[in-house]
Amino acid sequence: MGALLLGTKAAPLPAWVFRLFALHAEALLIGWMVQLTMGVAWWILPKYPRLPERGPAAPIWAAWLLLNVGVLLAGVGRSIGAPEATVIAGRLAELLAAVAFAGAAWPRVKAFGR
Amino acid sequence: MPPITRWFVRSALLWFVLALATGVLLAGGVSADIPGTAWTLPYPTYLHLLTVGWLTNLIFGVAFWMFPRYTAEHPRGSDMLGWLAYVGLNAGLLLRLIGEPIQLSGEAKGVLLLLSAGLQLLGAWAFVLNTWPRVKVK
Repeated sequence: MGALLLGTKAAPLPAWVFRLFALHAEALLIGWMVQLTMGVAWWILPKYPRLPERGPAAPIWAAWLLLNVGVLLAGVGRSIGAPEATVIAGRLAELLAAVAFAGAAWPRVKAFGR
Repeated sequence: MPPITRWFVRSALLWFVLALATGVLLAGGVSADIPGTAWTLPYPTYLHLLTVGWLTNLIFGVAFWMFPRYTAEHPRGSDMLGWLAYVGLNAGLLLRLIGEPIQLSGEAKGVLLLLSAGLQLLGAWAFVLNTWPRVKVK
């Protein structure tokens, strides 16, 4: 998508390519950078001395699912001109993902071995 | 995990939730009215809450924690520079969050934003100065 958008500055590409910008921005910022940092943080934060050592898996899987559904709804929704409720639903899913992730990660922000 | 890293990471988590909450407000376009106020939230504020509040706080905190030790006596370099980075970055971002909507409404002349810019710059320099000597072979 980024290549296509950049290409429009140098070559006569169809006008619909410009509509990809919203999906491009959502996918790069939330789908790529935010998701990568969430995954790495979940991996490296101090573990619990008991099992499951990274805490319950359900909230983090919920965060993963909500984040990716959110990126699709908000990014694709805006790019194809879907009703505003679609974009709002996508952004709400992303917010719920952040809440689930923060709630699961917060107790692991601690000194090792505690 | 040292105390300063805990402050960075917990602040990052709080900014993360706040950033995506502003994302809901901005779902309709590049700016949005803040409910109950006469202020407008612009898209750049959302971007900075995510990139500075979430990503940069997390990066600063993890780098302070995991980079090679400076010396045996001061493994993480200067605590003072670390705290200066934390306060500069977060106080600066908070001032941006308040100052940008106020500036857009025409109620202020940008003093908050200048202070915000200065604080964030100070935070970034403090981080660089403390981290630079730790970029080395273990």
